[in-house]
Amino acid sequence: MPEIFVTVYDVFMRTYPGFLEATVVTLQLTAIGVILGTVIGLIFALMKISGSKILQTIANIYITIIRGTPLIVQIMFLYFGIVELYTMSNFWAGAIALGVHNGAYIAEIFRGSIQGIDPGQREASLSLGMDRRQTMSRIVFPQALRRSIPPLGNQFIITLKDSSLVYIIGVAEIFSLGNREAAQSYQPFESFLVVALYYLVLVMIFTFLLRLYENKLDVDRA
Amino acid sequence: MIIGENIHKSFGDLEVLKGVDLHVKPQEVVVLVGVSGSGKSTLLRCFNFLEMINEGKITIDGHTVNPKKDNLTKIRAEVGMVFQHFNLFPHKTVLENVIEAPITVKKMKKEQAKKLGMELLKKVGLEDKAGVYPSKLSGGQKQRVAIARSLAMQPKVMLFDEPTSALDPELVGEVLQVMKQLAEEGMTMVVVTHEMKFAKEVADRIIMIDEGRIIESADPKTFFENPKNERTKQFIQLVE
Repeated sequence: MPEIFVTVYDVFMRTYPGFLEATVVTLQLTAIGVILGTVIGLIFALMKISGSKILQTIANIYITIIRGTPLIVQIMFLYFGIVELYTMSNFWAGAIALGVHNGAYIAEIFRGSIQGIDPGQREASLSLGMDRRQTMSRIVFPQALRRSIPPLGNQFIITLKDSSLVYIIGVAEIFSLGNREAAQSYQPFESFLVVALYYLVLVMIFTFLLRLYENKLDVDRA
Repeated sequence: MIIGENIHKSFGDLEVLKGVDLHVKPQEVVVLVGVSGSGKSTLLRCFNFLEMINEGKITIDGHTVNPKKDNLTKIRAEVGMVFQHFNLFPHKTVLENVIEAPITVKKMKKEQAKKLGMELLKKVGLEDKAGVYPSKLSGGQKQRVAIARSLAMQPKVMLFDEPTSALDPELVGEVLQVMKQLAEEGMTMVVVTHEMKFAKEVADRIIMIDEGRIIESADPKTFFENPKNERTKQFIQLVE
């Protein structure tokens, strides 16, 4: 077997207990980033389609700022900004930064799918005597959510990989551990190869689960 | 049942309805005809407040509607509407489509709504399709489900906006059959359609709309055999 496989294997076997712990941290960051991002995204999407100029402007400002600045800057900003005001662990500062960042993108995903629903659906619902709220919650939104799932899944995968950026504020996730391992072992190539493998496997598992879910939705409808 | 008085409706600078007066009596079947763009569909949509009139008055079942003050959802619940493109809810089964509004609007118990839903599906000949999703139905079947869905709210009047225009020719008959049956049962109906045979057989009155105005209103025999207006004569020649 070529030398490189042997050394990578050695690095892997030596480091996996630590990496498994770091994987849990990465998954936690991702989960919080996604859940928080979905909640924020939904709120801002509804603000954008609300018809109220004020709410639309607030949503537009938020989305413009978040999409117009790098995530790593947002993480630093939140970390140094919020930690000044409240005592907060760097884990939570990072998780919230991921959520706030995702919220802007998810808002646009939701807005796009809600506005993509045929206006006839809304008209049919109103013509049956359902009010605006019932029409949104029972007719438009369930259909929009279905359409959101593929782009949301994509966004979740981006979040998983983006969570590596919180290494900058010292959260012990996969990348951060790999970085340390590389410095300590003088084996940067092997260490980052192992890091890459962890992300790759996680993304593949995620993609597979997502596809299963999408297929199930298709089956349900057919 | 529906009284429209001096109805004006504009979209931007374009005035689509220029003072329409229409009185639909209980149990009457009124067919609206006219070339496309004449305003007949807009008039129908005004009766269901999917479009808001700019001027004039609409009275439904003795109540003159004030769109600013009245609860429009309540009024819409009493006026059924069937659309050209069916607009069935694709994420719900046929039965769920039918029972959605009775459950959410009328707060009907699910069991009772299901019973009503199945009766209505039987009426339109689709009780065997109760559990399937709309994507599995033909256009004619979809439109019959849409009619059942509308009937589930027990409306006082039914509006049909070109209900067969999106259908393959061989599927038109099954939908018209259901509509004919409804008319025979005494449902008040306003129908926008290009089906002249249906108009002749079922309508009590045919109304010709041209450039936002009513130019002819007569029983089918008079309408086709002895129209007064020159534009109506041209229209009849075109469609026959």
